[in-house]
Amino acid sequence: MTVEEGSASSPPGPAERAAAPLHLRPATAADIPSLVPLLLRLKRLNEEFDPLLRVRDDAPQQARAILESQIADPKALVLAAEGVGPDRDKLVGFVRAIVRERPFYTPEFEGVIVDIYLLPLYRRRGVGEYLLREVSSALKAKGAGVVTAEFPAQNEIASRFYAKRGFRPITLIHARSL
Amino acid sequence: MAESSSSPGPPSRLGRRSRPRSPEAVAERRRSSRTEALGRRALELSRFYGGKIETVPKVPVRSLRDFSLWYTPGVAEVSRAIHAHPDLSFDVTGRWNTVAIVTDGSRLLGLGDMGPEAALPVMEGKALLFKFLGGVDAFPLPIRAPTPAEFLQTAEAIAPAVGGINLEDIASPKCFGLLEELTRRLEIPVWHDDQLGTAAATVAGLLNALRLTHRSVGEARTVLLGAGAANLATARLLLALGHDPHRLTLVDQRGVLHAERDDVDELMVRNPWKYRLALRTNGGGRTGDLVRAAEGADVLVAASTPVPGTVRPEHLRAMARDPIVFALANPVPEIWPDVARSAGAAIVATGRSDFPNQVNNSLVFPAVFRGVLDARARAIPEEVVLVAARALAAGAERRGLGPSHLLPTMEEPEVFPEIAAAVADESVRLGIARLRLSHDEFLERARALMGRPLRLVRALARAHLTPPMPRGPGRPRKAA
Repeated sequence: MTVEEGSASSPPGPAERAAAPLHLRPATAADIPSLVPLLLRLKRLNEEFDPLLRVRDDAPQQARAILESQIADPKALVLAAEGVGPDRDKLVGFVRAIVRERPFYTPEFEGVIVDIYLLPLYRRRGVGEYLLREVSSALKAKGAGVVTAEFPAQNEIASRFYAKRGFRPITLIHARSL
Repeated sequence: MAESSSSPGPPSRLGRRSRPRSPEAVAERRRSSRTEALGRRALELSRFYGGKIETVPKVPVRSLRDFSLWYTPGVAEVSRAIHAHPDLSFDVTGRWNTVAIVTDGSRLLGLGDMGPEAALPVMEGKALLFKFLGGVDAFPLPIRAPTPAEFLQTAEAIAPAVGGINLEDIASPKCFGLLEELTRRLEIPVWHDDQLGTAAATVAGLLNALRLTHRSVGEARTVLLGAGAANLATARLLLALGHDPHRLTLVDQRGVLHAERDDVDELMVRNPWKYRLALRTNGGGRTGDLVRAAEGADVLVAASTPVPGTVRPEHLRAMARDPIVFALANPVPEIWPDVARSAGAAIVATGRSDFPNQVNNSLVFPAVFRGVLDARARAIPEEVVLVAARALAAGAERRGLGPSHLLPTMEEPEVFPEIAAAVADESVRLGIARLRLSHDEFLERARALMGRPLRLVRALARAHLTPPMPRGPGRPRKAA
């Protein structure tokens, strides 16, 4: 995820929210051509953090297929971030999340934020806060009792972003090439 | 440059061309064989002299008995005094006038990563310049520090011995973080010449060039070609001087730097300094190559690839009237001055001493260090760098500002103590000076200290303490 750390740590009020340079709404199939490049940007960013996150050549096709299926899937959540004002018709970011069952633990359902991406000029200014709030309530509406976020272990910016908003590591994934 | 692969390169590659080969390009072939000859001679002389600098006593030694003053037991009292008041080290040792030239050799000249040993002759040469131009005692200190953490730790560890640190020939973007972090950690001035020295000289030249063409920084549209240490620092200084970020565009091998370029997230991770400029600059969202960036620009500063043809006449023709072109790559500029002028450039500067308007960090670093050392400053903030740039620009007026005299040359030594005094004054004003003297006192001090080395080297030569240079072979010797 690349929501760069914002300067404001307190939750933004309605005024700030109105000032956010974007608007979040559920994505539709028509958004897919604009969403694919954004998703690929995020995966290429992840590539920076670990050689085991090298982006596949067929990533664009994969991105399209996954977006198509998840936009239609009630257990998944794809939100598109639209610009405002002159950027009204432009997608400037997106959030992708899934609701996953936890067979051994409670809460029983976990909302996993797998991707958050915003174009650089739309970061900061409390936008990350807004995105997180919107996606959390959408996941809650889908039955999730806990919200988690996946990102590369070396991504300190993401780490700080979530830590500041009350997230803590609960599961670590360690990897080794075979 | 991305576009240079698919477009005309240096004229020589194109063989027959309707346009005659630039006389400067022809002259350059002569120069490059001269450069080879200079290299052979430098190696020979370095062997003959066994390096370029040595330490010399500055106190009388009448007999060995004097060592009871200069060394034990007398020196113990000096140590006790410093122990009680650490800043006394600036009064009773040579610390007030001593600088460490620290490098990891990771970007030596234009040679790339050469390692610390290979950096030593360059740092010795730099130390000689420090002494000769600034009256500063500088230690060449190439260190084996493969990681930034090791570099920081080492630089921090040697700081008690010196009054300042000059970082040199360190790869970008590593150099940005090192400078920032050392400035934060240390209570002595830290400078990275490849960023600040070059940028201050560039900005000084630009201030005068803008003035000569009746423009102002606030209204200028500027393109910086190359986004390494020098141009990123130049961008920051220009913005600090009030340049409109929207009218500033950076261009590198991948074209115009902008907030939605494909590699912008990679920059966020690997080069946040460049990332921040990608977000701030290039209002109107230009994309594409240098031609697009240059459209309507008043100023083009190239600090990129030492290949003539990197900047081409068509780039200049896309610019506004009376364009200002700084082609700063060394040893060869991105465009020859005669080519630039025939393409309409009103003012041309390069990094070389054999053309008018040399933009060179030697115009800056000796005076800046003279100034911060004389004020015993704790740092070199941006304000001080800007004061140095302005003082250098003002210095050009002493012998008449003009399109071929944008900046003072090294042959105008009267200018440099004035820059030093301006730097010292600014350190006092900012409250970072340990020693607060008046302008006249700083100026007198700088004149005395900067004037002394020439007398010193002459005296050493007269006394035959520096052996005369052995005669060169004239022609290169054939291999045996």
